[in-house]
Amino acid sequence: MEILRYLAKGTLVVLVLVLWQLLWLLGLPEYVLGPLEILKHFAAELVSGELLPHIWASLVRSLPGFAIGTLLGISFGLLAGVARAFDQMLSPLIFLTYPVPKIVMLPIFMLWFGIGDLSKIMIIALACFYPTFINAYYGAKATPTILVWSGLNMGARRWDIFRKVVVPSALPLIFAGIRVSLALSFIVMFATEMINAPTGLGHLIRVAEGGLRFDLMYVSLLAIAILGYLSDALLRLTRGRVLAWQEQAA
Amino acid sequence: MRGEPLSLRSTLTGVRPLVLLAAALVAWELCARSALWSPIIFPSLVRIFTEFGLLVARSDRLMEAWHSLYRALAGFGLAAVVGVTLGMLMGRSNLIAGLLDPLFSGTYPVPKIALFPIFIFVFGIGSLSKVILIFLECLYPIVINTYHGARSVNRVLVWSALNMGASRGQILRKIVVPATAPFIFAGFRVALPVAMIVVIITEMVSSADGLGYLVMYSLSSLKTDRMLAAVIVIALLGLLLDGLLVLLRNRLVFWEKLETYYT
Repeated sequence: MEILRYLAKGTLVVLVLVLWQLLWLLGLPEYVLGPLEILKHFAAELVSGELLPHIWASLVRSLPGFAIGTLLGISFGLLAGVARAFDQMLSPLIFLTYPVPKIVMLPIFMLWFGIGDLSKIMIIALACFYPTFINAYYGAKATPTILVWSGLNMGARRWDIFRKVVVPSALPLIFAGIRVSLALSFIVMFATEMINAPTGLGHLIRVAEGGLRFDLMYVSLLAIAILGYLSDALLRLTRGRVLAWQEQAA
Repeated sequence: MRGEPLSLRSTLTGVRPLVLLAAALVAWELCARSALWSPIIFPSLVRIFTEFGLLVARSDRLMEAWHSLYRALAGFGLAAVVGVTLGMLMGRSNLIAGLLDPLFSGTYPVPKIALFPIFIFVFGIGSLSKVILIFLECLYPIVINTYHGARSVNRVLVWSALNMGASRGQILRKIVVPATAPFIFAGFRVALPVAMIVVIITEMVSSADGLGYLVMYSLSSLKTDRMLAAVIVIALLGLLLDGLLVLLRNRLVFWEKLETYYT
């Protein structure tokens, strides 16, 4: 059974790719490209230098937004998790607006912050704020009381308890929140660029769509997929390092 | 606390949740009345709520909400059926898990929204391409949660049922499904807001109806009061759907109460 399972791993992925390529050779509609063709076009665009400025433009929007949103989310979430007055004031508003799709704020942000990068960064930050806030909040709330008591007993000050007990015990949940935010930051970045942007991968795919350049569509699709995959892998690596003391960081 | 006569402290605690909301509304109205900004940038609350009334009262505007709602629910419903089935199969069979898990965990961090332009070519610019994209985005959280839930079913329970002569169907119905239900609903609760996000995005990008379209159309006509009214409708819809889901969950999974901040 173990051997079977080992063999099964990844088989379907390879099978799908092979089937896709074979179907393409047999003849698919022109808007579906084979995997090898996509790779070929991707390499060509990468070499010609047409793709890199768009990737850069997208990253310049998504990463600052992600950083601002997660930092604010984590600090506010931890604060609300430990300070009751703050919790009672802020949390109802956050939980009330949590199921609201944050992307609807984009037109309003476009009015306030202009149609440039600022409104996009702000909307990405807003979207990234929520998952990290909620995870940090629950993480801080779920700190084992025994640990806090023992810390107090041994004469730790409030700040020490926050730094050495609350934050480490909230970290696993915080990382779960960061992972959701990271995925969200790419989704929102792509969406805002599709709606209006002069550069970026979302813009590239719209231009390609308008010009029926299917190769370019798949190239930007592959680029965003690689970005999403790489950043997620990087995050998991960081989590493995930071949470090395935790038994199951997987 | 509750039994005490109204002390200053308890009133303060009761009022606190509203403080921030009230402050935000007052600040907005002050910005609107201050004449520092054009009413296009900060329309007053009165105008927004007039537009909101029009939106709810007029049947053609209400239809826009219906278009968005049925797209979101169709994609979500499809994902719920397929996702729970796949997740259950993966949780109960190592072979299927081995086949499908690399596929799902490999494509999980990839933003599926990027497929939308291609879906437009494959499925047309109507509702179908949007519903399929919503289905795809909702599928992941539902499958992953169901899979984890079905895998973490207490083995002792399954063994005792087997010992007492339960059939496979009985075990599935009486043990695995109830034990997985809280996980399934956790997945639903992640997926439902995602469905709303994706329906609004796709309607903003390309559509001739729906609330996302109404928002973009009002913005291009500089009717920001109408745009904000549409935003309020979207927000209320998101809240309402989540509330209904929590209600349904607490009915079905009555042995494990879900804590929510608002009920």
